[in-house]
Amino acid sequence: MRWRIISQVAGKEILSTLRDRRAIVSNLLLPLLLLPLIMLGLPLALGGLFNREQASETPVAVQNLSELPPELAELFEAANIAPFASDEPEEVVRSESASVGLRVPGDMANSVGAGEQVDLVLFSKQGNLAAEVAASKVRGAVDAYRQDLVAERLGAAGLDPSVLEPVTLRAVDASSTAERSSGQLSWIIPFFIAVWTLVGGQMTAIDATAGEKERGTLESLLVAPVRRSEVVMGKFLATMLFGLSAAVMAIIGYVAGGALLGSLVSSRLGGEGGEVVAMMGGSLQVTLTSVILLLTSTLLLAATLAALLLGVTMFARSFKEAQSYVAPLSFLLIIPVLALQFKDLLDLGLGIYLVPVVNVLLLMDDTVKGAVDGAALALTWSSLVIAIVLLLAFALRSFARENVIFRT
Amino acid sequence: MIEVANLTKSFGSVRAISGISFSVAAGEIFGLLGPNGAGKTTTLRILATLLRADSGTASVAGYEVKSQAEAVRRSIGVVNGGMGLYDRLTGREILNYFGRLYGMSNGPINARIDELAEVLELGNALTRQAGGFSTGMKQKIVIARAVLHDPPVIFFDEATSGLDVMARRAVLDLVRRFARDGKVVVYSTHVMSEVEQLCDRLAIIFRGELVVRDTLAGLLSSTGKASLEEAFFATVRKSGLVQEEAA
Repeated sequence: MRWRIISQVAGKEILSTLRDRRAIVSNLLLPLLLLPLIMLGLPLALGGLFNREQASETPVAVQNLSELPPELAELFEAANIAPFASDEPEEVVRSESASVGLRVPGDMANSVGAGEQVDLVLFSKQGNLAAEVAASKVRGAVDAYRQDLVAERLGAAGLDPSVLEPVTLRAVDASSTAERSSGQLSWIIPFFIAVWTLVGGQMTAIDATAGEKERGTLESLLVAPVRRSEVVMGKFLATMLFGLSAAVMAIIGYVAGGALLGSLVSSRLGGEGGEVVAMMGGSLQVTLTSVILLLTSTLLLAATLAALLLGVTMFARSFKEAQSYVAPLSFLLIIPVLALQFKDLLDLGLGIYLVPVVNVLLLMDDTVKGAVDGAALALTWSSLVIAIVLLLAFALRSFARENVIFRT
Repeated sequence: MIEVANLTKSFGSVRAISGISFSVAAGEIFGLLGPNGAGKTTTLRILATLLRADSGTASVAGYEVKSQAEAVRRSIGVVNGGMGLYDRLTGREILNYFGRLYGMSNGPINARIDELAEVLELGNALTRQAGGFSTGMKQKIVIARAVLHDPPVIFFDEATSGLDVMARRAVLDLVRRFARDGKVVVYSTHVMSEVEQLCDRLAIIFRGELVVRDTLAGLLSSTGKASLEEAFFATVRKSGLVQEEAA
């Protein structure tokens, strides 16, 4: 193969793609902006929502409001809960006049005074996020009142409250800093990188194969004194470059967006809001090593997908037909990524790192969590190299077949 | 310059061409005449090394098409009516790209582009992206691309399809000019008037078989007809290939 020819073919594909505004938007701008918006914008918005719900006054419909003990009323006030009298708190919640309702027994004051057990009933719509936050405020106030009452009654009986907890259990998070900061939804990061690698490369791949057929330029290219292997390699490099550039843009968008947005607004978030950000991976800290590992994995993924895209899209007669071939390929990424969520529950073993595409998604997840295993890394990268060679051979075979080239 | 002997090619169970033989000398315009689907394009694609013949031999500019494919491709230019251009590249960028694929360096490429721009009257097409070209201008750039490396052999395959009368005339003038310059021109078409105007010799291909190979005058004389169209029908009837249709 002659590099002079390969670089010419690749250069032409790159120039042609760069002149396509749609490609610039989908390959460079969207991956740069979308990941930070989703990964950080969503948790920040949720965090803001939680904080706002916590800070704002929560109206609660209370049946037998006059029976509410003054101590509990004070705790309600401290938690920004505004009780109002209602004979039908459940109906009030159902009709969404208030997100939370509370049924207080008609003789609560007497029962508390007599040291009897009092049953309170909390009404809220489960599954409604705002109602859950409001209900948690009521639960917190009632819990605090209960603890005060228990302490008071035990004290009156000459007992220490610790008598109720003869054994305590303290949970300690033993995960590494990287694992903690990557959050429970860190699998979204490899997903986005993988999706952009596919999206970034597909336009160039389709244009360089089915597009050439549809325009009638493939025949003129193949009657030039170039070898099919040089044509395939040139188109492969251009496709890989755009897949890689889209993924790199996604990584840059994430790292830069995380640093910028995190520093700008993290101080405004506290309590549950901050927890949501952490859960979504919003406090992820990416080290230089993990960036290098991510980039190398992305390069290999981009090469794998580029070779696959070329081999598949070459069969299509037109741009449109090629798009219909490419669409199912996204399932190659989506299905393993969905499974990644349950990775901790599955006993995958090292063997899974031999499966191309799945392995690189797992490795990226490991990288983000700072838990890369050397053997897994070696298996993943070597299996991807083998996959790239085989897929390139498949693409070359497609370019060499008369019934594929002239399938117009 | 071109020697073809007993070329046969099938696509699955469909025999596209069978036993095609002819030769073309330098400075000659050789017409391949036949209806759509007759096997003209398959023949030219074999000569251009895009398809491999099942049997038979062919050489172009002294090179054997099977074993010396790359040398053949260096020696030919192909103009096809269905050929397109890269819409987002300018005329000059397209020609420059192909010049480099042919191993030319910057100086000769630019000199040749300027020369062709004058001959083909490319105007500002060199600096504009091809997506905005008229059909005629597109075909001129296709021709420029095919002859950029100054090949000794040029294949035209339905090169005027879709062109208006002015663009068509310009293409025919160019074909004559190439022949005057000593190049071998194989002109494949189903348009009889173009063969009458251009070709020194012609072959009629019908249903994959070469039914006659002669000069225009020789064909008219042997069939006793006054026009190529009448001679064409007389020839294919005589070949026996249209008996089923007649029945």
